[in-house]
Amino acid sequence: MEALKVKGLTKAFGGVHALSDVSFSVNVGERLGIIGPNGAGKTTLFNLINGQLPPSYGKIHLFGIDITHSPTYRRAHLGQSRSFQITSLFLNLTVLDNTLITLHGLRSSRFHMMRSTTTYIALHTRARELLTLIDLWEHRDELVKNLSYGEQRRLEITLTLALEPKLLLLDEPSCGLTTAESAEITDMLKNLGRDITILLVAHDMDLVFGVADRIMVLHYGKIIVEGVPEEIRVDSRVREIYMGCADNAGTITTG
Amino acid sequence: MTLPNERETSRRSGQSLLIRFTPFIAGALVLCILPALVPTYVRNIWTKFVVFALFASSYDLIYGHTGLLSLGHAAYFGAGGYTVAALMLHYNIDSLWVGLPLGVLVAAFISAIFGFMALRVSGMYFLLVTFAFGELLYSVTWNWKWLSTPGMQGISGLLRPNLGIPGFRWNTINFYYFVLIIFLLCFYLVYRIMNSPFGHALRGIRENEPRMQSLGYNTWLYKYLAFIITGAFAGVAGTLFAYYNRFISPTHVGVVTSFMPMIMVIIGGSGTLLGPVIGALIIVFVEYFSSLFTPERWPLILGALFVAAIMYARGGVGIHLTKLWRKLNYRYGSSKG
Amino acid sequence: MELVLANLVNGISFGMILFLIASGLSIVMGLMGIINLAHGALYMVGAYAGWTIAVQWKMNFALAVIVGGIAGALVGLLIERGFLRRLYKQPNEQVLLTFGFVYILSNLVIWIWGGHRRLQFTAPILYGSMEIAGMPFAKDRLAIIAIGAIIAIALWYLQDKTRIGAIVRAGMDDKEMTTGLGINLDFIFTVVFLFAAFIAGCAGVIGAQLIGAYSWLGTDILLYSLIVVVVGGLGSVQGSLLGGLVIGLIDTFGKALFPQFAMFTIYLAMIVILLVKPSGLLGRKS
Repeated sequence: MEALKVKGLTKAFGGVHALSDVSFSVNVGERLGIIGPNGAGKTTLFNLINGQLPPSYGKIHLFGIDITHSPTYRRAHLGQSRSFQITSLFLNLTVLDNTLITLHGLRSSRFHMMRSTTTYIALHTRARELLTLIDLWEHRDELVKNLSYGEQRRLEITLTLALEPKLLLLDEPSCGLTTAESAEITDMLKNLGRDITILLVAHDMDLVFGVADRIMVLHYGKIIVEGVPEEIRVDSRVREIYMGCADNAGTITTG
Repeated sequence: MTLPNERETSRRSGQSLLIRFTPFIAGALVLCILPALVPTYVRNIWTKFVVFALFASSYDLIYGHTGLLSLGHAAYFGAGGYTVAALMLHYNIDSLWVGLPLGVLVAAFISAIFGFMALRVSGMYFLLVTFAFGELLYSVTWNWKWLSTPGMQGISGLLRPNLGIPGFRWNTINFYYFVLIIFLLCFYLVYRIMNSPFGHALRGIRENEPRMQSLGYNTWLYKYLAFIITGAFAGVAGTLFAYYNRFISPTHVGVVTSFMPMIMVIIGGSGTLLGPVIGALIIVFVEYFSSLFTPERWPLILGALFVAAIMYARGGVGIHLTKLWRKLNYRYGSSKG
Repeated sequence: MELVLANLVNGISFGMILFLIASGLSIVMGLMGIINLAHGALYMVGAYAGWTIAVQWKMNFALAVIVGGIAGALVGLLIERGFLRRLYKQPNEQVLLTFGFVYILSNLVIWIWGGHRRLQFTAPILYGSMEIAGMPFAKDRLAIIAIGAIIAIALWYLQDKTRIGAIVRAGMDDKEMTTGLGINLDFIFTVVFLFAAFIAGCAGVIGAQLIGAYSWLGTDILLYSLIVVVVGGLGSVQGSLLGGLVIGLIDTFGKALFPQFAMFTIYLAMIVILLVKPSGLLGRKS
């Protein structure tokens, strides 16, 4: 069963094609890594899949359902979850508020107007679980903007997973993190169950090669090559694009 | 800014208890007891303050919490007032139980229509369009003769509402308490909404709408509902105003009146519970004093206050009071006795 | 027929005035992302200043126009440099601020020039009418149309054919990119704001022949120009021109044909645009 199927996806801004005729599919449980130099169209691809931008041409199917023109929030209800490259947490709200808002997102209680949020015991318990896991429970009343960047990233990833998504779109999850923090993220992703399908955009090669089953390389809005990590590692076209070859045995590192 | 250790506050000295309850005592005094003791003209101003406190608090729902800058909100305020007035003028209906609900319904209905169209655009355009709609309604009240007592602009000679209680007569004191009760009820509802998942979602939308969408929230619907709710409460304030002022005119639908909740929210502090109330208090009383000494310069004073508030009192008076309050609590609430 | 022609001329000349104000408003909106609600008040200040020159001191009308423009620009400078600049990156607060200035300026105008009378004045050489093809036309209306057309062409030239115009258009599309190219966008902002204020002030004097000057002119004309921006589209001279003419004509003919419905014709136009093409007739972004 295909979790995600993209056909002929094109996005043009005036005369510029951010994406040209991109087609691929991802099976349930697969981890697809998407790499490519800056401007290759990776974030645009995510914006199209998540619904922040409408495509110029092409179709997107999520678990067999055509979501090409569905609004973003409906895609969330179908099981998509997305993290953003720049931290997009609610900076002026507390950690706890951020968590509760996230947890309410897919529940019908999100429209309740008369009950105080403190009365949703189940959600509070879940929030406590999640925040304790990442050592942020003591900081639950602090504004997110007062957390360190690493803590914010950790929170964002955790919240992205909190919705128990079926399709996870991760846009540069380790951006700005230290090596140790990146390694943490890599481990966390490796330990996720195979019921979750993951699309991962990253520049951190350790992360991508550590997590991905398959890797897709984008350049100037087109797919250049696709394959398993070992193939990609030694592919000459990919080396050309990145212009920073290590020796034969080593991993590709970005210049 | 987190409050200090939970241990500290459990040390209940008589002094700290007093400090903790001061705002509530003060609030009760100011709202419930004082007005019965002051001269009538002060009481009238107090009543006006409560009406506008309601108007401003409800406006903050769409401005402070949802982050939508809507000009022209007096349209819904005036709609409520005009409904009550038209009922009295043309149908001789002065019953509260008809006037108030109908006023709210009309206000909500108009805000539903205007809101739908205004939300088709965003950001600056939204502002612009809500402003134009406010002026549209102003035009309607100016030109539609049915909405005026013959020979003038607006409807005059409005009565205090008929409660249906035989032998009951209005005076400034019981009228004040009547307005206060409705205010407290509505304020309580607004408070509940602000603390509900819906209210939290509004603040999320204010902070980052695209993120809310990817979390599964239909943000358009939230904004629309917030707009209508705000309009409905503005309608309540408007009907109360009509009963209070006994006269409603196009001015009460126009940009000048729309400005009032905005400046009250800015001065008092947006996004807080009490900010708009404090702002209303300040503005209503400054207006009164200005009317005593320099009535012609009132708009200038109002504008200057507004500019000053935006430039310097960023969080509004409300935030400063809250900070002061926390400082007091920390210093005195945790002392050994 | 004469009546239709007279309304046509009135409509187009009113449309030209609206274009002058709306173009400034629209460019500032498109470039700086804020609505200068005080823009109408700048127009009003210009009108009053021009009145002082032309009527009170009985000087040259052309001088009055310039002085009006300068008056508008000075107030604009005060607002932009003294206040707006300090609210960097807070568009809501900036808009509210300009709203506060509407109050201040409207009341100041009453204080200085007194009362609420409507001051209407015309350049002496434009008194009366002239004949074109056997039909009489009011000279001042024709002059307004002519001046409006000249300024429209000049602005269009500035926008499309000059480097500064290109910079402004680039700034509208992508601020970061433009700053990245080494252009001092802050300075451009001030220049554009001042220029818009200057034109608004001049328009105030020119338009005084049609509308006059009174203390709540600031909000009245603001409303019209906002609707022009919605209808015509944001950020371009052409949009403001088209919007201005459309609204000017609709308003004039509307008032002539359905006097009871006064303002409603233009509100209707705005509602139609909102429902059908929210970005405006010649809107840049969709």
